[in-house]
Amino acid sequence: MATGVVNTVFRLRSFLAAYARSLVAYGVVAALWIAASLLIAGFGAYAHLRYIVELAAVIGLVAVGQTVAVIAGGIDLSVSAVITVTAIILPLLSFDVDVSGLGAIALALAVAAGIGAVNGFAIGFLGLPPLIMTLAMATILQGLLVLIAGGSAISVSNATLDWLGSAHVLTVSAGIILWLAVAGACLFWLHGTRSGALVFAIGANPIVSRLSGVPIPRITLAIYVLSAICAGLAGLLLLSMNGQGYVGIGDPYLLSSIAAVVLGGTSILGGRGSYLGTIAGAVLLVTMTALITVVNASEGWRSVILGCLILGMLPLSGRDQSR
Amino acid sequence: MSAEGRRLYWLIQWRRNDGLGALFLVLAAFVVLYAVLFPGIFAVGALAKFVQGWFPTAMVAAAQTIVMLTGGIDLSVGPMVSLGSVVAASTMQGPLGIFGGVLAVLALGACVGAITGSFVAIGRYPAIIVTLALSFVLRGVALLILPRPGGFVPPSLSEFLAGSHPTAAFLLVLFVILWKLYQATPLGIGLIAVGDNAEGAYRSGVNVTAVRLTAYILSGVLVSLTGLYVAAQTGSGDPVIGEPMTLAAIAAAVLGGVGFLGGQGTMRGALAGSLLMSVLINVMFFMGLPLVAQYVVQGLIIVCTVSLPLLRSTWQRAS
Repeated sequence: MATGVVNTVFRLRSFLAAYARSLVAYGVVAALWIAASLLIAGFGAYAHLRYIVELAAVIGLVAVGQTVAVIAGGIDLSVSAVITVTAIILPLLSFDVDVSGLGAIALALAVAAGIGAVNGFAIGFLGLPPLIMTLAMATILQGLLVLIAGGSAISVSNATLDWLGSAHVLTVSAGIILWLAVAGACLFWLHGTRSGALVFAIGANPIVSRLSGVPIPRITLAIYVLSAICAGLAGLLLLSMNGQGYVGIGDPYLLSSIAAVVLGGTSILGGRGSYLGTIAGAVLLVTMTALITVVNASEGWRSVILGCLILGMLPLSGRDQSR
Repeated sequence: MSAEGRRLYWLIQWRRNDGLGALFLVLAAFVVLYAVLFPGIFAVGALAKFVQGWFPTAMVAAAQTIVMLTGGIDLSVGPMVSLGSVVAASTMQGPLGIFGGVLAVLALGACVGAITGSFVAIGRYPAIIVTLALSFVLRGVALLILPRPGGFVPPSLSEFLAGSHPTAAFLLVLFVILWKLYQATPLGIGLIAVGDNAEGAYRSGVNVTAVRLTAYILSGVLVSLTGLYVAAQTGSGDPVIGEPMTLAAIAAAVLGGVGFLGGQGTMRGALAGSLLMSVLINVMFFMGLPLVAQYVVQGLIIVCTVSLPLLRSTWQRAS
């Protein structure tokens, strides 16, 4: 019996030690929410906090793939382009036969997965640097989108998306539930399965991983497909909240997804971190934006404060140990 | 320098062209194509205009190359160009006029470069996240100074830098001379050494921190001066004009054979890479392709140039 207790305590302690950096962001969010609720009338209302989490759900979904890519020592700079792609092609994929709209959604996500597969293949099998491959992909998609869609906004009517954008289950928005479900699956994959552990191994030391027989190309492919699908889901959620897709709809989400990952304590150098922290990072970002909006700051101030926030949180994300 | 030393110098310089042959060939082909499409290019005025179009890309590519040679990367190039143009356009009305404006832009570039450099060289934080965060800050500051395009650039300065004179071409030559001189100083030699093997460079007596710090300061100054040039070209400051330049700078450097891990690449390669992109955009314009198609082509070119050597080495290992 005693060993069982010791074992549990030990596991709890090692968990806390490993994820202490991820938990800092939760403390900051809690402190901000309590302080803001006391100081600003209406901030602490359930509906307002729910609205903050709803906005965070979009960032959080994009950041699922971003977190996994960063833990594996990579980065995905094409997420904003993938968001825009799904938000723009979904209206083009609607058919009369497809009453529920699920078919169009599946097709749009398949397109996103295809983009991710191209990224993953080039990075995993050809060995292109993730930064250059995903940046180039973002540029290509950006050009293609303007060529295809032009400057106009495209409205959508899709039964499933309408439900996603407006429904509440026990007063919790459907978008938040979607986020929680994806987050739970991601956490289980990263921390509860063999292939999830290999993601950490690749990020911590790719050479040792390769020599130990880790199928790096296959896992890398899976990571970037996952990242693109998550970005696609975020694009659909965004579309359901917005009602319209247009070129540039996904642009703000590239930097905020990376910021959420960094604020959540995941090391940008790979090998260390958890999606647990990213959840708090996403909520923290939206909370900060909401607070800045309350004091009526302009877009310029918002950008400056966001940048300084990331710089200030750098010590959490880890230093370059190699030199 | 003795005759033997001179021979060795040119031999090494010639060797550094290795791997750039394909780029030079493609570049030559496109220049010929461009000359066929637009025979007037070799008049002094047209050439001056062409160099003016190329100059900003060349400068940001050079700045990116300096940083990448040390093993870093700068994702704040675009916002820095914007901020440089905004600062130039809003300080030149001041009492010091053009001189004050140039001074302000120089100070801005050196300060931001020093901040980035301190985080990366002294704090040892990853350059990618530091410059990403700084790109937010710079974009915000530019928007705060000039919420929408405006400000004032003296027409005489615009005429001098971007008028009918080949000033940009002279500036480019001046830059290459300065770069050669810098390469003859300990800090300049250290650039590639630090990027290739920081530990080894340190053990050989290279001041790694100083090399990195000056690299970021130099790159910051180059980029903010590019902003000044862009302001002179357009006649005003614009808080978002530099946005596409982050990618263009990286693309030109990678196209020119500058490696991501540091210690690999040449300035001539990066300049040739930026020239190729500039010629390509001009050729596409003449062929009547929409301007956004250049993004697609730019992306494809980057992927191809980076993956070709990788594919070749895979085949060599297989056979």
